Amino acid sequence: MSRIIVITSGKGGVGKSTVTANLGTAIAQRGHQVALVDADFGLRNLDLLLGLENRVVYTAIEAIAGECRLEQALVKDKRQPGLVLLPAAQNRSKETVNPAQMRQLVSQLSQNYEYILIDCPAGIEMGFRNAIAPAQEAIVVTTPEVAAVRDADRAVGLLEANNIRIVNLVINRIKPEMVQMNDMMSVEDVLEILAVPLLGIIPDDERVIVASNRGEPLVLDEKLSLPAIAFNNIARRLEGDKVPFLDLMAAHNNLLNRIRRFFRS
Amino acid sequence: MTSESVEQTSGEQPDAPEKPENSLLTDPDVQMRLARLDGQLQVILPKVKKRSAQDDWLEMWQQLTHRLNSGERFWKPGELIHVLAQDQLLDSRQLQEIAEALKSADLNIERVYASRRQTAVTAAAAGYSVEQQSPNIAPIFPTVNEDENCESPLYLKSTQRSGIEVRHPGTVIVLGDVNPGSKIVAAKDVLVFGRLRGIAHAGANGDRVCIIAALQMEATQLRIADTLARVPEHPSGQYEPEIAHIAPQGIQIAQANYFFKFHCFDAEANAWVTTNPKSLTNY
Ligand SMILES: Nc1ncnc2c1ncn2[C@@H]1O[C@H](COP(=O)(O)OP(=O)(O)OP(=O)(O)O)[C@@H](O)[C@H]1O
Ligand SMILES: [Mg+2]
Repeated sequence: MSRIIVITSGKGGVGKSTVTANLGTAIAQRGHQVALVDADFGLRNLDLLLGLENRVVYTAIEAIAGECRLEQALVKDKRQPGLVLLPAAQNRSKETVNPAQMRQLVSQLSQNYEYILIDCPAGIEMGFRNAIAPAQEAIVVTTPEVAAVRDADRAVGLLEANNIRIVNLVINRIKPEMVQMNDMMSVEDVLEILAVPLLGIIPDDERVIVASNRGEPLVLDEKLSLPAIAFNNIARRLEGDKVPFLDLMAAHNNLLNRIRRFFRS
Repeated sequence: MTSESVEQTSGEQPDAPEKPENSLLTDPDVQMRLARLDGQLQVILPKVKKRSAQDDWLEMWQQLTHRLNSGERFWKPGELIHVLAQDQLLDSRQLQEIAEALKSADLNIERVYASRRQTAVTAAAAGYSVEQQSPNIAPIFPTVNEDENCESPLYLKSTQRSGIEVRHPGTVIVLGDVNPGSKIVAAKDVLVFGRLRGIAHAGANGDRVCIIAALQMEATQLRIADTLARVPEHPSGQYEPEIAHIAPQGIQIAQANYFFKFHCFDAEANAWVTTNPKSLTNY
């Protein structure tokens, strides 16, 4: 039985694609067969995050239309043997696909892959409906901002309405120094509203942006950064491991102390 | 027994509700309703709004599943239900999604009433018995109970999430939180066994006796009848059960424990007034 997970958020730009790319890579690295489905039709970018842009020949649209076989549309990752990407078409609108076609496509994929991660577009319209249609579970990504949390709450409500009962939360772009100054919602504040199980917290870190621009998921770095560890932990928790959450506040304090010590000496 | 003051806003304020909510409440056409009328269970779809069909469908669909999943189950397993589609244009997929949602709540569609020919044709093709109605004549079913007192309370046993809007021509009882971005509008009281952080409107038909009660009153705005008040943030961050009500000076919030002991509704003042605590010491 494969696990079909949609990565969604409501609000745009909170890190869905970043989470999909890194989580997919991390799960594949752990020895699983993983297919990533870019459901952001019209605005594809998962191929960029994975550095696979120049390998895209066909997209999900051609596979759905029967213009190519599904296997032909799948792009093999250049680093992880177990990872493939089903790219979205850049030039077609979201209305060209319907939920039944998405279900059909993913059920075909589920014969060969253990994990299918679907990268959902922002919003709650047709693109959202398409992306969640085949899913059995969902990862809701939010940043600790009032508007993002509000939209995440809306998304959770819609997932529940669509009978997706397994919903987990990833809080992205936490800035410990801002939380400490009371300028940002804390993890607890977010959980209090959303009341869904926490799967992971990811710090705000420039290296995430650098890695995205390079097309090299940062979980592959030789020396793992804090966000890379966070992504790996999410992969492990998905498989049922009990991994303690990173104490970002403590990490932040350590850094502060180190700086203070540096100035004292 | 001191009541906390809340900032009052009169009906003239620009951010006050534009039109009285009551037309929306008694009008069965604005929200999906699940009701038993003359013994027959019915799901009544809202009338088509001016927005896009897609938005309409999404909202309707969420309302339906929300009511089926978190409302009280007042039907027998396997009971037959009538779908009153009104002027909604439903395609076969949408009709099937409604049927599946009802099925998961152990309800089976027996008959579909529709005013749009296309919807009637779709329903017939799907094998339901169908009754097509002229959109111009008043619906043949009694839409809303004229006597509001008969309207039983609506129990919602889940978190009310952002984007959810519940309207009920009676009391609404929420066993869970009312999150920011959600809205509860009731003709009678609103009772929240959780944190109230969304918008609550009690007595939306103009009934000033109605109250809003919450274990944690964290609403930023409260509405009772035609009064509206902004609530300042709790200075202490400590919460206790509270009741918002209309006092002579406007909406007030009081501790729930002793509220009914020390307050009574004064018909002349058309508001809740404090009874003299001394007169109560005798009993
Ligand atoms: N933890 C992080 N630290 C710093 N930057 C981040 C982090 N997570 C994401 N970003 C950056 O935020 C931007 C948006 O991320 P991403 O494209 O993954 O969001 P999205 O939710 O997929 O957006 P869309 O809704 O447009 O699909 C990117 O530039 C990304 O590099
Ligand atoms: Mg994206």
